[in-house]
Amino acid sequence: MIKVNTEDYPWHSGMTVRNLLDEKLFTFRHIIVRINGKYVPEEDYEHFTIRDGDDVIVLHLIAGG
Amino acid sequence: MLRYQRNHDAISEVEQAILAEKRVLVVGCGGLGGYVIECLARVGVGHLRVVDGDVFEESNLNRQLLSSTMNLGRPKTLAAQQRIMAVNPMVEVQAIPTLLTVDNAEELLSGCDVAVDALDNIPDRLLLQQAAKSAGIPMVHAAVTSWLGRVCVIKPGEDLLNILYPIETRNTGEEGLTSILATSVAATAAFQAAETIKLLLSRPGLQGETLELDLLNMTVTKIKLI
Repeated sequence: MIKVNTEDYPWHSGMTVRNLLDEKLFTFRHIIVRINGKYVPEEDYEHFTIRDGDDVIVLHLIAGG
Repeated sequence: MLRYQRNHDAISEVEQAILAEKRVLVVGCGGLGGYVIECLARVGVGHLRVVDGDVFEESNLNRQLLSSTMNLGRPKTLAAQQRIMAVNPMVEVQAIPTLLTVDNAEELLSGCDVAVDALDNIPDRLLLQQAAKSAGIPMVHAAVTSWLGRVCVIKPGEDLLNILYPIETRNTGEEGLTSILATSVAATAAFQAAETIKLLLSRPGLQGETLELDLLNMTVTKIKLI
């Protein structure tokens, strides 16, 4: 089990950031991903592996006013 | 006072008197700022310092409360001042038609109890966060795009914007490219104004977290950041 935006979410072996974004339907153009507080750049989404127990935050990049 | 009769008992009469003595800096008088200024004045915050260097353009009309076909080309701060004079003349509005800069930030924050971040770009938001930290006052951040909105309360030193805007993302120019709906702006600004009022009244509110609004899927989610 991992945390995604403070809620429990099922983990599976080999889960990458891209897998998670696809599963959760995060499709906004600019996404911020942090795993255990550490920023994960977009170019790493395909191969960055999420570990069991990780705390994942996925946010939209929002800056308009 | 009849003006504030329907504020009570959501706000006590003692709290109403406290609000009348408070001063809030609102940086940005566009989408978020327009609605926040309106809410704060109607609730009865006594002193508003409103800052914006822009004038209204036609493209603002889809979402900015203070804009109208009558005031295109006129300063946003002036519109804010005139609007509040008409809505609640008991509120003092200092209209400062300038952009926030490193040089004027300290002076703009001087004497204020809370800073409201109603800006529209990442560098200026970070500048306000730093200035509010230096001044030792809390900042209420909000941002919108499309159907989405976000609100955070940032106490001095928490630097939540550093989490929301990693260094690698700060030059995307995203804010100028996406759509923004009036519904997202109004809803997000209402939450932003509510958090501002609660800070002024020392009531509990958002703490180290972001409130994420999604008006398309009708969700409101709190996410812990620190």
